[in-house]
Amino acid sequence: MNVALAIVAGLAVAGAVLAVSARDVRATVLGVLIVLIAGPLVASPWPSPAAILARVAAGLLAARLLTIGLRGEEATAGTRIGWPAEALAAAAAAVVGFGSHGLGAAALGPAEAQAAGFALIALAISPLVTGRDVLRLGIGSVLLVSGALFIRVGLDNPPRDGEQLVISLLTISLGGAIGVIGAAARAAGGLAASSVAIGLPVPRLPDAHRDIRREVGVEPISPKPPVAPKEPGVATEPPAVAKAPRAVPRAPRRRTPRTPKPPSGDAS
Amino acid sequence: MTVLPFLVVAAVAGTCSLILRASRGWSTTIAIVGLLAMTWVAISLSPDAAIDIGGTILAGSAWLRLYAILASVVALGLIAVDVSAFHEPDAPGVIVIAIGAAVLALASPHAGVAVLAATAGGLAGVLVAAPLGAAARAAFVGARELRALAITGALAILATAWLARPLAELATQPAVFGLAYLAFGAAVAVRFGAIPFHFWAARVADAAPGVALPLLMAWLPAAFAAVALVWIDQSVAPMALPLSTERVLIAAIGTVSIVLGLVAALVQDDLEHVVGYSIVADAGVAVLGLAVLDPAGWEPARTWLLVFVVGRSAFAAWVLAIHGGFGTRRLPDLAGWARRAPVLAASLVAIAATSIAWPGLAAWQARSTLIDLALPRPIAVLVMIAPIAAIAIYGRILLVGVGQPDTAVRAGRGERPRWPASLPRRPMAGVGGLERGFERASHALSGTLDVAWLLPTAVRTNRMPLAAVAVLLLSGLAFLIAGGGLGVREAARAVPQAAASDTAPSGPGSTAEPGPSAEPSATASPSPQASFAPVP
Repeated sequence: MNVALAIVAGLAVAGAVLAVSARDVRATVLGVLIVLIAGPLVASPWPSPAAILARVAAGLLAARLLTIGLRGEEATAGTRIGWPAEALAAAAAAVVGFGSHGLGAAALGPAEAQAAGFALIALAISPLVTGRDVLRLGIGSVLLVSGALFIRVGLDNPPRDGEQLVISLLTISLGGAIGVIGAAARAAGGLAASSVAIGLPVPRLPDAHRDIRREVGVEPISPKPPVAPKEPGVATEPPAVAKAPRAVPRAPRRRTPRTPKPPSGDAS
Repeated sequence: MTVLPFLVVAAVAGTCSLILRASRGWSTTIAIVGLLAMTWVAISLSPDAAIDIGGTILAGSAWLRLYAILASVVALGLIAVDVSAFHEPDAPGVIVIAIGAAVLALASPHAGVAVLAATAGGLAGVLVAAPLGAAARAAFVGARELRALAITGALAILATAWLARPLAELATQPAVFGLAYLAFGAAVAVRFGAIPFHFWAARVADAAPGVALPLLMAWLPAAFAAVALVWIDQSVAPMALPLSTERVLIAAIGTVSIVLGLVAALVQDDLEHVVGYSIVADAGVAVLGLAVLDPAGWEPARTWLLVFVVGRSAFAAWVLAIHGGFGTRRLPDLAGWARRAPVLAASLVAIAATSIAWPGLAAWQARSTLIDLALPRPIAVLVMIAPIAAIAIYGRILLVGVGQPDTAVRAGRGERPRWPASLPRRPMAGVGGLERGFERASHALSGTLDVAWLLPTAVRTNRMPLAAVAVLLLSGLAFLIAGGGLGVREAARAVPQAAASDTAPSGPGSTAEPGPSAEPSATASPSPQASFAPVP
């Protein structure tokens, strides 16, 4: 086992856990960026410097496109089972991937890449299947494709420079596609607006997580409803929205100090 | 000429067109110029030329050349019709880029690289499925399309990587080949929106602009299917494994798509949905092509891919022209359309003939051969006659068209050519011969200027007849291809250079690496031969 490769693969998996667990959009994008940048480095031998540069540049560009599309959005649904559970699921999948290296025949790539690939695919399943907001679906898509690419590196000869270039194009396309969808959803009322528009249930806020916005005193996290076009002279009713959590935290109830009991006079 | 200039032109023109999307005129002009250049470069492509870029070979082939020419020409026709109808801002640039990605996928002999390029090209389509400023539903559709593309891309990457190694050890485990084959087959079916994977495709048909529909549902998935055919031919079929369960599953998906796709197209009132489901039905035949692990299926499968994408593009262009001309695409509101648009009616007849076909046409031969090879005899007979039911689909549309014109049709543009203003009369005033000569020359110049001045307005006024002519040309092209014109059969029969040189390493006991390490022979010419020889 190559320790350096294992560390890089572990970083990639950690980035993926961050991407699927975080509710802060910036943290989610950071997680994706870690996965994309670690991608070319989980290989033995490493690609040429030009290929690594192209892949890193593509990862940065994809993250930038994501950020442009999500500008102004601060929160996504995040995981419902918490990051420790996601991390454990990823670790279990990584063990399976490491143990089944080659999938039936001698492999030409490192086992660490296959382990990371299995972990990423395991992490991608939940957002792809249950994701209601477009960012979660997009993150799931990135992780799924990245996981498949990791497994490809683990099974086959390392990609040559030309293939690395095509992978870079694919990475940029993924980032651009998520950015475009995110921007379209945001313009329509929020990341979950597309689900609201077709009658799907709105993602419920996780109970196990603290609301990070309460600390900075901004509006609570809730999917914004799609804005109905207002016709002149027609009063429009606001659409029904899922009940949002309280904007201002309730002040903690204070107990009034008990007054000491006055001494009774008949003690004497 | 190699495929590289084509890719460069597509990348530059598509990117510039998208950058200038705010200015529709410039964006469309750049895309049209780019497509013209791509057509010219595609015609100059040499089927034998190959180029090495960073260790990855990009090789030409006769089929790739024909695909590139047809895609560029059909895209020009679609954009011309779109300009006359709605003029979607992102569509021209996306079409150019996606065609470039599809050609990149087809040029790569290494299936692993090809699926990456085909997936990247599909992602470009998200831009038109979920445009900025669209309704929330568009974002939903775009997200689902992204998910479908990611799943199909991942399945194809895994399948190709699994079998892209020395297969001596894997040969003892047929299940590995079966799983990889099934994964890639399922990926192709999902990309085509084959039933039962049609939900996302139906939503795309609903939300995407009509001009992009053939690209999203036919051209890009067809490139993906062509990659799958080459991969199956190189990596799975030579093993001569039974794989009966896997083949039955893939054949079942194809059969269900053919039958139910036709039924769904018949009951739809929205013409764009009719196009979408007729694409699904025709794609079912392409999926059947994957179930044929026999060299006899090679030529008909690749012939059908070209016949089907050009034919469905012509149908989509027809719907676009009708929608642009009459402002609706709901069939009940289009009563009497054929009376006001006889050229479009003739086009629809040509499209119907292409779609249904008859014995003797290349389209019929390809479809019946694939069905015959993929299905057992009794079922094959039923499925073979099922496409004839498409007569009901086109007959219904034509029947509505010959009725009394409805309000929308009466208020629509119609095909009769009109001149926006009457040209001024200039009486002769000169008395002498020389004077009259000068005057005539002056009148001719003034008349030319009058016409030139009115030309832009005349084009705007006659958008409907111009669109109808473009659709007629497209349907004529579709009919030509369905009849085996432009050498479609010869191009489909030719074995790609890498396939011809790479079949041997896939066999059991072989240790040579298939695909990327093999240098395509620059002198090999496409020849009618079996695409692979079964490994004993």
